[in-house]
Amino acid sequence: MAVKFFGQFLIEQGIVSGEALLKAIDLQEKNNLKFGEMAVAMELVTPAEIQRAHNAQMSKDMKLGDLLVEMGFLTADQMNDVFTRQKSTHLYIGEALVQAGALTDDALLKQLDAFKADQAEYVSDGIELPFTSASNHIWEMTADLTYKMITRVLDLRFRSGKCSLATVIPPNYMLVAMDLSGDVEARYLISVSEGLLKTIARVILGEESVDDEPAEVLEDTVMEFVNVVCGNVAAKASQAGVIININPPVTLHPPASGLPIPDGHTALSFPIHIEDDDTMEMILLIKG
Amino acid sequence: MKKVLVVDDSLSVARQLEKIIAESGDFTCVGHAKNGAEAIKMNHTENPDFICMDMNMPGMDGLTALRTLSVMDKEVKVVMVTSLGGVGDKFTEALKLGAKNVISKPFEAGDVLRILREL
Repeated sequence: MAVKFFGQFLIEQGIVSGEALLKAIDLQEKNNLKFGEMAVAMELVTPAEIQRAHNAQMSKDMKLGDLLVEMGFLTADQMNDVFTRQKSTHLYIGEALVQAGALTDDALLKQLDAFKADQAEYVSDGIELPFTSASNHIWEMTADLTYKMITRVLDLRFRSGKCSLATVIPPNYMLVAMDLSGDVEARYLISVSEGLLKTIARVILGEESVDDEPAEVLEDTVMEFVNVVCGNVAAKASQAGVIININPPVTLHPPASGLPIPDGHTALSFPIHIEDDDTMEMILLIKG
Repeated sequence: MKKVLVVDDSLSVARQLEKIIAESGDFTCVGHAKNGAEAIKMNHTENPDFICMDMNMPGMDGLTALRTLSVMDKEVKVVMVTSLGGVGDKFTEALKLGAKNVISKPFEAGDVLRILREL
């Protein structure tokens, strides 16, 4: 079981076919206008002005709406009117499936309830962070999903420690890092001891002993755990309209002095106390 | 027995899938490719009935390979197995490119076999 979106859940349950879902997505794409398209449809700007703003975006890292305001093509009130219209006319995937004839209204309500029950395991619990940023909800969710996947995938009992700001990445047997890009820029790291590495490998490979396994295979199991966590973080973030791209994970073997925090980054440390006195640590290196 | 090709840069995921396939009784694993380019080559040499393929791989990724396979081989049925299955845009793109289904990681053996048997 993983973080899913509603259309995927319906296909998995055999409620709708892939063809029906694609038809509904096509309806959504026709109905749910992008910001520029909606502003033109509302006759607030011309297509030529949208084009000029798109050209300006090549050299300015700004959202289209903000740029149209800055360029004097829209007022701030008009920009908000466009957002409001986008929201009020948005066609959700369930509604699109009803329009496409793949679901009845009653079946939609029933399946929404079933979907909520299926995903209840991944509803975020509150986690306190020692700093404030616009993306705090993403970092809280990342920590929360890490904890849930330690239980779900690794079948380990643990106690999470208090999150703190770190000045160095402490040494440990190995680290796995995955870079996150898109609407956020960060590096997700998991640090494990040699003993914990073998424990994780035993669980993921389903073997009683991993003593004869090459280091490459052992390390790969932690990389895959990180891949699963970050993929599910991306899925959960996408439900909140936040785009996160993930890159293939890499392993690091830190020196005894640990690893420095790169300039311009904030480091959050989340200690994870595993039973038998073993410790895992999750670290987020957040740019900006 | 239906033949399955596993495509994943992760050795541990490949091991998990190979084990599930070997113990199924009705499928046999014909190989493991570590990226999209290897998958295209092995599809030609091993002629599998099904391909279980990751999306996020170094070198040629899964969606690029899926695009090529959809053009080159109309017979093979591809299922994406990915931690990004819950990202709506990725799921939709995979279906549009011809994937028969998308399995999210972490997966259960029963889900993988059910989906392969339904193809």
